[in-house]
Amino acid sequence: MIRTTDGRRAAGRSRLVAAAGALALLLTACGGSSLGGDEGGSGGDGGPVKLGLLVPRSGVYNALGDDMKAGFETYLEQHDNMLGGREVEVVVADEGETADSGKAAADKLVKQDKVDAVVGVVSSAVMNAVFDLFESSKVPLIGSNASPTTLTGMSYIWRTSYVNDEPGIALGEYVAEKAGGPVYLIAAGYQAGEDEIVGFQETFEPAGGEAVGDPVYTPFPATKNFQPFLSRVQKSDAKAVFTFYAGGAAVDFVKQYKQFGLAGKVPLYAPGFLTEGGVLQAQGDAALGVFTSMNYSADLDNELNTTFVEDYEAKTGAKPTTYAMATYDAAKILDMAIEKAGDEVTSETINAAIAELGEIESPRGTWRFNDNGTPVQMWYLREVQQTENGLENVRVAELGTLGD
Amino acid sequence: MGVLEWFDDNLVSMVDGVAFGLLLFTLAVGLSLVFGMMDVLNLAHGTLYLVGAYTAYSLSDGSLLGLAAALVVGLLVGGLGGVVLAGMTQPLANRGHLDQAVLTLGVSFIVADVLASTYGAEVLPADPPSALRGSVSILGHTYPVYRLVFIGVAAALALVVWALFERSSLGALVRATVADREMVRALGVDTRVVLVAVFAFGAALAALGGVFGAPILGPGPGVDETVLVLSLVVVVVGGLGSVSGALLGALLIGQVQTLGVAVVPEYAPFLLFGTMLVVLAVRPAGLVSLTNRQTA
Repeated sequence: MIRTTDGRRAAGRSRLVAAAGALALLLTACGGSSLGGDEGGSGGDGGPVKLGLLVPRSGVYNALGDDMKAGFETYLEQHDNMLGGREVEVVVADEGETADSGKAAADKLVKQDKVDAVVGVVSSAVMNAVFDLFESSKVPLIGSNASPTTLTGMSYIWRTSYVNDEPGIALGEYVAEKAGGPVYLIAAGYQAGEDEIVGFQETFEPAGGEAVGDPVYTPFPATKNFQPFLSRVQKSDAKAVFTFYAGGAAVDFVKQYKQFGLAGKVPLYAPGFLTEGGVLQAQGDAALGVFTSMNYSADLDNELNTTFVEDYEAKTGAKPTTYAMATYDAAKILDMAIEKAGDEVTSETINAAIAELGEIESPRGTWRFNDNGTPVQMWYLREVQQTENGLENVRVAELGTLGD
Repeated sequence: MGVLEWFDDNLVSMVDGVAFGLLLFTLAVGLSLVFGMMDVLNLAHGTLYLVGAYTAYSLSDGSLLGLAAALVVGLLVGGLGGVVLAGMTQPLANRGHLDQAVLTLGVSFIVADVLASTYGAEVLPADPPSALRGSVSILGHTYPVYRLVFIGVAAALALVVWALFERSSLGALVRATVADREMVRALGVDTRVVLVAVFAFGAALAALGGVFGAPILGPGPGVDETVLVLSLVVVVVGGLGSVSGALLGALLIGQVQTLGVAVVPEYAPFLLFGTMLVVLAVRPAGLVSLTNRQTA
């Protein structure tokens, strides 16, 4: 019993406050939602195929989750909600921000909803936590973003995106040739940052590139003020900078790169995440002239991409990002695999069909899976330019095919 | 020769340290007063910054008038938030820090979630008014104009707050309440009004910090936690319940996070709490201590 000078009135008031508080908490604690029914059972008997979409619907990666869901839905809308001639039921589960939340959502999709296949996964930490579930349950996971370099030898894990060190590997030789001097390496201090730097060094050094000292890793996600690090770049004799940041850190880094006088003087090279999607709008003019590597660019000139960009823009009002494109491709792969699986559509037949797919026509061009379940694809160099549509990543060169 | 060169190399970091330190001051002073005075642990403090920053994002349209509008709205919303939080934590006054922490933390989660669903989950660009954009050259180094202006404005604000608390009779009343609440009550002053007023003032100041600081530390998910941790460290280092303590602590932490990181970037993750450790080892009550009570 709470004793205050107000006596009983306070007790009643605080119960009301507690009830209101609990109600508010309940309202904000919404978890996943589903686009279809929730009954168990799969499409093994000619009925609808049940698919899971595991993407962030909350937290820091929410925007990527939005892109991926929109990419997936664009494909479904283009094909009347049918994949491989079957009706499709999609259950969306919230990957959240942490490995634990991702694992819980994956468990729900595989064990409770009993889906035939799952698409998505933004965070490498989540991927590392869930691959075991998919391998042991024999349910295919078509990852369309997360890609730890250590994930090899899997039978049920496929990735339509890339491997975490490939954006770095793609740039190494190009930067070594163009830099004209030592290059400063700086990245976010977590697994993805290290993977990118290591990948970059793999092709940078053999091509004759020289780095300024050791790579600098900034505390992640704590660093919001990059001024101390940027002043070190200025003090060194670096002729170019290679960096990796994504999300909010990318916005801060690029804006401060301009504010402290480095933009326009020291060229900035990075994996495409530095300027992809919503991040570019937040950076504004500060991003002009930044060079990035990516496996996709919305201005690629092929028929499939033209219709994809048109439909995606009509749906969301923005140009597609690589995250949306990879999830669009995941839907396409399921379309092809379910058709190939024939009458008997189960997780295992779908997985076996994916393994035999061969070349895939995609908005990014033509690609195929390698033995590790990751794409063999072309990489492009893009520069942020001011076009008639505003700020865009404009394709300026091809960096070569990776993944073989 | 070497010393001059070192200064030249690190001038920008030192100036930035002052800017960052003053930003931390606007955030921490409210928390210090509330914690020192009311013994109330308000973990929703970072959320107040976030509210101010989102206000700046919504209302500033590139003109100075927009910024002024954001300022007024930010102050009002912050003050209101402070009054609400004071009201919510009053019944828990005798129940110890854990209950207050849990309550205010819960409030911060709810508000942060509402803000994220309203504004989206990306970090939003809060650009300064167009008159203050761009960079200027100081002694051969490029530095953003807005941060220089911010130093001026925040320094003036710090001076006003300091004068208010250390040199006016109103401030004397507040300091007395921090030092010995029972005695002030015995003098016939309703300390509850003083406490709510201080809470509202501190909260308004935090929201103000958010409005001005948005171009430096922009609004987005997770920013409230960052701000809360920084404020808590400044409060602990500076000493509870005193404005001069908050100022000293903030300037110190500001330099540590900029100059410190520039000089020894390998130790960057450890500098913040390392400094706190060192200060506490030498002066356990913080740099400037006012209260005569043991704090748990």
